[in-house]
Amino acid sequence: MAGDDGEVGMSEHEALRVLVAKPGLDGHDRGAQVIARALTDAGMEVIYTGIRQTPEMIVAAAIEEDVDCVGLSMLSGGHVEHTREVVDGLRAAGAEDIRVFIGGIIPREDVPELEAMGVAGIFGPGSSIEEIVASIRGTPAPR
Amino acid sequence: MRQDGPRKARFTTSSGREVKRVYGPADVADIDVATEIGEPGHAPYTRGSTENGYRDGFWGWEFYAGFGSGADANARYRYLIEQGATGGVSIALDLPTQLGLDADHPLARREVGRVGVCINTLEDADAIFSGIDLATVGTIFSTANAIAPVMLAWISLVAERRGVDLSAFQLTLQNDPLKEYAARGTQILPVRPAVELACDVIAHCAEQGLPWYPVSVSGSHMKQAGASCAEEAAFTLANALAYVETLRARGIPVERFVDRMELHFSTDMDFFEEVAKYRVVRRVWSELLEERYGVTGVAPRIHAVASGLPLTAQQPLNNVVRITMEVLAHVFGGVVQARTACYDEALAIPTEEAVKLSLRTNQIIAHETGVADTVDPLGGSYFVERLTRDMHDEVRSILSTVDDLGGAIPAIESGYVAGRLAEGAYRQQRETESGERVVVGVNRYVEPEDDAVPVFKVEPAWADAQRERLAAFRERRDGAAVERALEDVRRAAETGASSVVPVREAVRVGATIGEICDAWREVHGEWQATTARSA
Repeated sequence: MAGDDGEVGMSEHEALRVLVAKPGLDGHDRGAQVIARALTDAGMEVIYTGIRQTPEMIVAAAIEEDVDCVGLSMLSGGHVEHTREVVDGLRAAGAEDIRVFIGGIIPREDVPELEAMGVAGIFGPGSSIEEIVASIRGTPAPR
Repeated sequence: MRQDGPRKARFTTSSGREVKRVYGPADVADIDVATEIGEPGHAPYTRGSTENGYRDGFWGWEFYAGFGSGADANARYRYLIEQGATGGVSIALDLPTQLGLDADHPLARREVGRVGVCINTLEDADAIFSGIDLATVGTIFSTANAIAPVMLAWISLVAERRGVDLSAFQLTLQNDPLKEYAARGTQILPVRPAVELACDVIAHCAEQGLPWYPVSVSGSHMKQAGASCAEEAAFTLANALAYVETLRARGIPVERFVDRMELHFSTDMDFFEEVAKYRVVRRVWSELLEERYGVTGVAPRIHAVASGLPLTAQQPLNNVVRITMEVLAHVFGGVVQARTACYDEALAIPTEEAVKLSLRTNQIIAHETGVADTVDPLGGSYFVERLTRDMHDEVRSILSTVDDLGGAIPAIESGYVAGRLAEGAYRQQRETESGERVVVGVNRYVEPEDDAVPVFKVEPAWADAQRERLAAFRERRDGAAVERALEDVRRAAETGASSVVPVREAVRVGATIGEICDAWREVHGEWQATTARSA
């Protein structure tokens, strides 16, 4: 894992680096794979963790890979808890500048709670790649 | 609205196949009616598995359901039976159960009872069937894949406890681990030991002469992961051949088990491609069995699902119409057993009201429209026959490619199948975003606010209740007997002996699913996800 100084999570790369991750036990990763491919085509450097990741694994990977943002894909109902643990984990590691985006089946009533955690973007079914790319690019540069 | 010239420069099916303005006799002149189309109930079964089709009974109206504990799910199953569902008890399992993790496993913490019912023990399995007569309920089905030997043990022992003869009821186990690695993602072990476990179940049911379908080789998840209709058909049949070859390698004659292999697919919105697909699948399976094994006269049994994939979270009531068209494609495709999605499935697992409406959709189509009164009513359509023939040729060509790779197992292990599915998913997403593929309510006819529909709620208390039940169960059982039985499960895994009998004994004396799967994991190791990087 990377060190715990103030540089953690700060990108030195031209291209945005994105970790696409699938927390929980659900194996349906069509959405995660489409997003990983689309962000790559949009010129970002993408690391896809594969399925069945714990929040701890995702936080560790985000720091080790020195990414600018993390995208979590969740369909099976654990989105509030998974997101909270990733956000808290990044903060605990001094990497709160890594933005967290989430996508999947996210009921409308959960949106305020997720926004209050500081989630940078929430994308439900039918979201377009264009809006996701724009949202990630619109993130203020970490430096 | 009328305009000058056609709406599009080029008309194609959803998989990119060119569609002509109109089809006529010249388009089917190369098709031999007797050998390629034939008669319903006769090889090559293009027109249907049986001579009489739905005149002898409608397709089974099946509703995949499950949440919470066995008792919670039982209430939904009983509701469906009361409402006239004929498709039996179709058991959706929660993810920990599918992955062989008990409710008290750290990874199971948030997932108990959420997307399906939680079963850890024989007691849990028994609760599912409370007040349900196994013999008359129709087919009992479950998406047990990596854990199929355990599900077989649960159901067999539940029946024994009730004094129901095993041949007096219908059981279908999905038991198709191969597609998990390509698309669905509930694999536990590496590919090859998982295939051997699946074949243990198929072989056992054949030896016992049980009237069950111990495997339902499934394309539906590959379709939902991005496969075209032809890819769905071809990869499913390739996987089916891999099980056949594994069983043959054990010295079991093909004709002993092949008529007990079900084929399972999903139906999306491209109506004619879907209808053609079901006709093609029957024909190609019939051809493969004859060409490769000299087996004839096996009518393919097709199980289908009206897919949740085309259903949208936007304007959810529109999904009722989508589901209606999917069910109609099942009927014209001649499927035998059909599961139907519900209009709220892009939002959550279905409510009771939503599932009832999907059941009524089937009942209205069956009883009110007359579409089920003649077999293969689209047979002989110039367009449908052309499409059937072209898709047949494409399926055969994909199967040749898989053969060249060494068969389905190497094609899956090398990532070839998953790669093709990912390509398809990405292409479909691009087509939707460009507007080339119209999705009403998503990229056309969009409304600022969606209709609010009631959404099913999971109960946070389910997980705690299940963990308490499990702890109490572990207290009650004979720990030493469980240890001995698990040792036998482990020994069978090490020696390559069939898992079926040792697993049943372990379940009978009180082993949990997590303990049994741990025994397999100790022997075979565990499947690991791999990280992918952009080039």
